[in-house]
Amino acid sequence: MQIRVKCKCGEGKCPEWAVVELQGVVEAQPAFQDRLQNLEIGVLCRPSSQQVYTFKVGYHELTGSKVALKKPTLVLQKTKHTHTGDVGTDTNSSNVELQVVGIIRHRILFKTRPKPLISKPQPAVKEKASATGAVASNQTA
Amino acid sequence: MEQPQSGNGGAEAVLNLEPSSSISIAYHSLFGPHDDLILLELDEKLLPDILQQRITLRGQPDEDAVLCTGSKTYGIKFVGNSNSIFLIPPSDRTEFCENSLDCKRKDDDQQGVASVIKVAPGNMELVEVAPRLDKLKLLLSENPYTFQEDLEMEDLEVVEKGNTGLYKWDDLVEKVQASDEELRSELQALSAAEIGGYWRIVDVKYMDTILRMLLHNSVINDWSLDALNEDEVVSMLESDGYPLKLAHHCLYVYGNKVDENLGRQVWKLDERRVCVHFAREILKEGKRKMESFMKEWKQKIPEGMQASFDMLEGEVLTERLGVETWIRAFSVSSLPSSPAERFSILFRERPKWEWKDLQPYIRDLSVPGLSSEGLLLKYTRRTQPTQDAEPVFSAR
Repeated sequence: MQIRVKCKCGEGKCPEWAVVELQGVVEAQPAFQDRLQNLEIGVLCRPSSQQVYTFKVGYHELTGSKVALKKPTLVLQKTKHTHTGDVGTDTNSSNVELQVVGIIRHRILFKTRPKPLISKPQPAVKEKASATGAVASNQTA
Repeated sequence: MEQPQSGNGGAEAVLNLEPSSSISIAYHSLFGPHDDLILLELDEKLLPDILQQRITLRGQPDEDAVLCTGSKTYGIKFVGNSNSIFLIPPSDRTEFCENSLDCKRKDDDQQGVASVIKVAPGNMELVEVAPRLDKLKLLLSENPYTFQEDLEMEDLEVVEKGNTGLYKWDDLVEKVQASDEELRSELQALSAAEIGGYWRIVDVKYMDTILRMLLHNSVINDWSLDALNEDEVVSMLESDGYPLKLAHHCLYVYGNKVDENLGRQVWKLDERRVCVHFAREILKEGKRKMESFMKEWKQKIPEGMQASFDMLEGEVLTERLGVETWIRAFSVSSLPSSPAERFSILFRERPKWEWKDLQPYIRDLSVPGLSSEGLLLKYTRRTQPTQDAEPVFSAR
């Protein structure tokens, strides 16, 4: 079986994807587990002209930086096609296709321990669960 | 905090985030496992091959897939990552747009949302590996091209036998996990011939017949074995009843092209290859006493050729039985190409080897990233009885 890796990008550039990487796992509040779509995870900030970034997730802030990957990483998409009516097609023809859909050259990597954000004294009334239902939980050793 | 906008903004916004600005990172409206999206890490130097669609994945469903460029073969392994890797595609990817409105949001990145389509569990990595070529020999040995086959047909049009053990180039590419270049190189090493579109190993008995006829004709016509005229050789073999294709193949297997002389292709028979052929013939019935073998060998080789024992490196083993030295066939070309299997067979054949005897049987082994010293270290145990003695290699 042979699958050719296709690339519609051509000689030009492959679209570059972005990666935000953090140690640990981001968990949504239980009520939101089943409908993550469109839910905000956090806010990514770049405070200065340096490649330093902060990522505020829930009540925590992570600090990290944008780094170039040692080796580029391609994003491939696997698709299965069904051939119709090919009489006598031998079993060798594969219906699986692989397509390059993007390339990743950088990642914004967060390696620090999340810093709890305590910006002001707790209000007497607890804030209602807002649309930002995501909470960071640090599960690394 | 205000409600995030529901546009699916993209990678550019994150990659080009300006100083003193921020962007909301949200789950894409189509966020999900997207198992069809795979990350593959590779060397920068392989990028041109990928972008120009020169890279293929090869393997049968029951094999681990390999990735092949035009000339190299790579193993593929998955490396998991316990980090959370949020993948953010560029905003103008139409398949990730729920509706056309989302796509027009390219400019709306100003509203500050970048969307995560998937959290990747890890990525694939490439490891340079030796091509898996043993299978090629296996496949082509299913149906060696014999004299019988010639009798069965007028010319070399092979009747379509369907899938019963005959392989064209495209079939081999589908079945053998090697790059095109490595595949061609191995076909050459196997002295395979493309007959009627199918790649065939020609049965050695048949090759022997053709070679002997060629030598016979050379004697009759007083041809020099160092300067054989291709046209003459081939047409005479053809009139002797051999297919044109095989006449050419005989020259190719046992000779070397010499520069064209006045538009006529000239060949020189390769002394070593011809002598080895006859040695194999003698030994195919079993072991022989050295003296008897050498005598018969010298008789069988063509006039003008010199047989020397070192031609048989990697082809024969000798042993002392009593006062006699015996010789038997043991060809490196019949051994597996994977180091573990190769060493296993070698040590089964003989528990201890000196370097000079071992070397011809392992020098063709290639493992990317492992030198021959490394190979020895990995698969053998080296002992040296005394300072002056030759080191001896045995199984680990």
